[in-house]
Amino acid sequence: MKAPTALRPAATIIAGALLLATLPLFLNDYWVHIATLAGTYWVLVSGLDLVVGYAGMLAVGYGGMLAVGAYTASVLAAKAGLDPLLALACCTVTGVIAGIIVGIPGLRLTSFYFAMATLGFAIIVTQVALAWGSLTGGGIGLAAPAYADPFASTGGFYCLVLIIDALATWLVWNIASGNPGRALIAVRDADVAAEAVGVPIARLKLSVFALSGALGSVAGGLFATAQSYITPDAFTLDLSVLFFIAVLIGGRGRIVGPMIGTGLLTLLPEIAAPLVAWSAFVYACLLLVVVLLAPGGIAELLERLRRAPPPIDRMAGPEPEAMSAALVSAPRAAGQLALAEVSRAFGGVRALDGISLTLAPGTVHGLIGPNGSGKTTALNILSGFYAVHSGRIRLGEADITRTSVQARAALGIARTFQTPRILGEASVIENVMLGAWRHAAASFGEVALGLPRFYRDERALRAQAMAALATVGLAAWANARADRLQHSEQRFLEIARALAMRPGFVLLDEPAAGLSAAEIENLGAIIAEMRRLGLGVLLVEHHADFVFRISDQVTVLATGRVLAAGTPAEIRAHREVVHAYLGA
Amino acid sequence: MVQEHGWRRRSVLGAAIGGATLPFLGTARAADKPPVKIGWLVALTGANSSPGIGFNRGIAFATQVLNEAGGIGGRQIEIVTRDTQGDPTKAVNAALEVVSQQRVEFLLGPTNSGESLATEPVTARYKVPSLLYSVVDSLVDIRRYPYYFRQLPSNTQWTEAAQNYVLKVLKAQKVGVIGDATGYGTATLQLAASEFKKAGGDVVYTALIDPNATDATAEMQKAKQAGAEALLVWSDSAGLNARIMNARGGIGWDAPMIGHPAMGTGIVKNLLKQPSYWGKVYIVGYRSTSFDAGGQLPARTQDFLKLVGDKVKLSDTTLWWVACGYDSVNLIKWAIDHGGSSEPAAVKRAWESLTSYPGIFGDYGYSATNHNGYPTAEVVMNAADSFKNGAYSLAPGY
Amino acid sequence: MIWASILVAGIATGAVYAMIGLAYNVMYSTSKVMSFTAGMLGMLGSVFGALFIGVLHWPVAAGFVATLAVGGIFGWITERLSVRPVLRNIDKHLYVLSTLALALMVQQLAAIEWGTEPRPFPTLFGIGHDLTSEQYWLPVIACIIAAAALEWFYRGTLAGRAFLAISEDARAALALGIPERRMRVLSYVLSGVVGAFAGFVGGELLLAFFANGMMLTFYGFIPVAIGGLGSNRGALVGGLVLGLIQQAANYWFGGDMVPVVAFAVFIAILLAMPRGLFGAAAQRRV
Repeated sequence: MKAPTALRPAATIIAGALLLATLPLFLNDYWVHIATLAGTYWVLVSGLDLVVGYAGMLAVGYGGMLAVGAYTASVLAAKAGLDPLLALACCTVTGVIAGIIVGIPGLRLTSFYFAMATLGFAIIVTQVALAWGSLTGGGIGLAAPAYADPFASTGGFYCLVLIIDALATWLVWNIASGNPGRALIAVRDADVAAEAVGVPIARLKLSVFALSGALGSVAGGLFATAQSYITPDAFTLDLSVLFFIAVLIGGRGRIVGPMIGTGLLTLLPEIAAPLVAWSAFVYACLLLVVVLLAPGGIAELLERLRRAPPPIDRMAGPEPEAMSAALVSAPRAAGQLALAEVSRAFGGVRALDGISLTLAPGTVHGLIGPNGSGKTTALNILSGFYAVHSGRIRLGEADITRTSVQARAALGIARTFQTPRILGEASVIENVMLGAWRHAAASFGEVALGLPRFYRDERALRAQAMAALATVGLAAWANARADRLQHSEQRFLEIARALAMRPGFVLLDEPAAGLSAAEIENLGAIIAEMRRLGLGVLLVEHHADFVFRISDQVTVLATGRVLAAGTPAEIRAHREVVHAYLGA
Repeated sequence: MVQEHGWRRRSVLGAAIGGATLPFLGTARAADKPPVKIGWLVALTGANSSPGIGFNRGIAFATQVLNEAGGIGGRQIEIVTRDTQGDPTKAVNAALEVVSQQRVEFLLGPTNSGESLATEPVTARYKVPSLLYSVVDSLVDIRRYPYYFRQLPSNTQWTEAAQNYVLKVLKAQKVGVIGDATGYGTATLQLAASEFKKAGGDVVYTALIDPNATDATAEMQKAKQAGAEALLVWSDSAGLNARIMNARGGIGWDAPMIGHPAMGTGIVKNLLKQPSYWGKVYIVGYRSTSFDAGGQLPARTQDFLKLVGDKVKLSDTTLWWVACGYDSVNLIKWAIDHGGSSEPAAVKRAWESLTSYPGIFGDYGYSATNHNGYPTAEVVMNAADSFKNGAYSLAPGY
Repeated sequence: MIWASILVAGIATGAVYAMIGLAYNVMYSTSKVMSFTAGMLGMLGSVFGALFIGVLHWPVAAGFVATLAVGGIFGWITERLSVRPVLRNIDKHLYVLSTLALALMVQQLAAIEWGTEPRPFPTLFGIGHDLTSEQYWLPVIACIIAAAALEWFYRGTLAGRAFLAISEDARAALALGIPERRMRVLSYVLSGVVGAFAGFVGGELLLAFFANGMMLTFYGFIPVAIGGLGSNRGALVGGLVLGLIQQAANYWFGGDMVPVVAFAVFIAILLAMPRGLFGAAAQRRV
């Protein structure tokens, strides 16, 4: 049953590769050159796909990377007399540096600013090439490295490009399908969720920029040879725009789509020669049409054709007993999580005014109060999204007041969000595997190279994620796109993701909002199982009945202060609470 | 299809000659013999496309004239035009297309240096006899590119002509050298400055200016303060050239400007604040297409103009561009007629035996050791403000 | 004398950049969108000004009004074609792509229809010469007028106050009954007028040239980045600073280093002060 489906893609790939490799046998040099160019561009676009398609960073000026690589290869071959293949290898070094130079502003700048900065980068690279005449030949340019046999001929060079294409696709495919790919999509679609599960966003982005820079630079080295001679005017803005559009037309967060996009865009001006003056206009038109009509690009159109029907049993019952498998090992008893005299103001408004609260392992702590009383602020302070203005936060003996969101995730603090922050374009199971981010052993490099640890990670994470999905009753949806889930199902998905973190504490932000009575029952059963397994659960809720029914401790907030705290029975009897909040 | 497109783009030009229809007429008349296919890589659109448009008119005209007279040895001429837009990547694609897919027997262009530098190594292995349309010196390399011949003067011939004029005619020793911050400008600035020093002159000021700079007043003042007696200006940007002239006029300075022919185009004229700012601007030109003191063009050129009549529009282009394009096609005809065939080796032998071909643009001559065919003595300076019907007057002193 | 010319040219170009910055801000105020078309407005202002007055020989006043109208129409097209359809998913930043696409289309159209060589912009008044000629003082005066008019519009008119309300909190403004969509269309038309005004008064300085569009998109944005998004005061200061820096860089380092220096300033300011000099504070994320 399994073998044929696994074999089919492999067979397709092999057949495709064979077809591509034999092109020079039946095409003339011109078409082989165009194919070489498309292949060269793909080396760059594959890396750019990670940046634009996966991480969602609008890097428009990647023609600059091409220039960096073209000059690296040509200068090293012409001035230092390096072997062309060695010079090509050196492109990775300058590419990584250039990638990081582009990436550092990308850590701080938002979309439009970053797009501008990358356009600036592309301009600067050519200006520097122009000004640094002693090295780059200035406006006269310099000859590109010519490879020795077997890569000397047009066909031979084409085969070299194909080999590097395969390598680049392999690297990018691994990154995209593994832990980093999921984290990148999270950075793009739900960056707070990425932070909450502990993704080190800056380091991850820089790794991706370094990889894409290296690929872009190697593409530049190949481009130089395909061009035979380089001058600064070869690196036009049109080229940068072409790369960028190739990713978008292909479809962000995909690999095959952008590959087709690259091929199409390279081919388009050749088969539509009379349009040469309009080619830039046509590219721009295509971009507008894609953005307005098909933001998912070719890939999404293809996907829509073979989308699986939804499971018949829309929401199977949860299986709380699967939770222990989802948590893998028993949660660590790190002591109590506590807020001590914490205050926080926004502008002039004191959202929290000296509140204290303790969350013990193996208990459920309900946090209730009217709108604006500070419930969610307290949760955000516990998970690290807001800094406190005074007071301390402790986990056991440790003071974690200044600890980052990611580090708190590593300490076993998981959370859900009032508005579910899910990766709509990723599958349900990938959303959950994102939660297990920290439990993967393979480094970025190991993933890229597809070393054994990467596959072990994937198998383990997948098994764990399936258990988490079974726990919340979403196992049947594992391979569906997450944005096809209903709102209430997305809440359970977030709980599954939190469980995949193997946390010691789970902070739930209004998990029952919008749930049916039956679903609230299921939620209660899941929370009870969390308590049974020794997790500390903070339950921020409006449904007072639900909170009273399943909590061990309840804290009532009003205008940023603790109005009352105690067991559900005590709170129910508390006169002020009854008067002010319960309204009975 | 492509030619047709090129013409449609400039509909004004389309009216001048029906260039697009030529290949079809040709094949209809002489279907028995295959046409002589000539690849023509040219920037017809995009920045810096003016020279390409001028060359193109000459090539189309020559093709029309020769085809009407029976073609070359009974074979009609077919020009395979590809618009490269000045983009090296497009130029390489187009070059490979015409040589490996269209299988052209001759190649003309491309018209920009960055493009030529890239297409030459790529097409070299196809052994297609080619006429270069770029001035960059390094393009002519008999050992590596034995089938490439240059019809234009080289960059060195240009800068030499300008510098000789400064030193010998204007008797100025101190110059300022200005280039624009593009590939051509930076490279030529260096070449011009070092050559001028070698010739014993004194370079007191050099400046690279952004071609889109809004103002060049500061540069003019600095050059004036540095004591420059003349300015060598190497930029093909019409906007910048006009701004430099405006700045020079604005500060009331009248040091002569000597340099790139782009300073003499009608675009520059339109951009000048006052017509008088065009005075004392001398541009590289050619004896063949210059009016002498009596306002007469050389006899051979006059005959050419009679032949042209009103079939080619000259008022908005430069005569030497048209003449050069016209000569290219005739040089090819000459090579086939004298070499006996259009085989690359025969054509190469024929051109290398050519001591002096009386073209309209100049008297070309090549040898086995020299593929730069344009005689240095023909390169002269023109007065920029004397533009009339595509030609200029000789600068004072000739 | 050299310093005077650096100063004068720097302030004049800076004023044009500042006005493009204003155009960015006006669009941003109602839509939270930064549009690549801002610089294209300036280019269209020069090109259409030159077309109406220089080529078609219309009277200056008629040409001026027609040019501003073209800017307004293009602003309207921008809103309709590349902003409104993607505004629903503003967090996906699709507007960056849609406005980039529209900007490239306009630039390419201008290149094909108007030509790729710069063409002259007619002299409007012919007052002054050399450093006092109108190409230098006109942009400065126009910039002051544009900034003052915008200030009056924001503070003194109902529509202007509605802009500000939307800019502060679009949802609350909608709840108050402010017709958000109509205000947004109005703001794009207004930004089109401001941008075309910039191109028109800067025409003699910049010439009517298709490539000015991308140049102004880039150099008009740097003042916004320096001054802080949404701050008109910031855009004026930023424009002036950029104009002077460019002239100084050209003087000291040469023309090939001008973009490098401008870009370095841009990045340095953004990394040091991500919100610019007068920018608003960051918004809450959770």
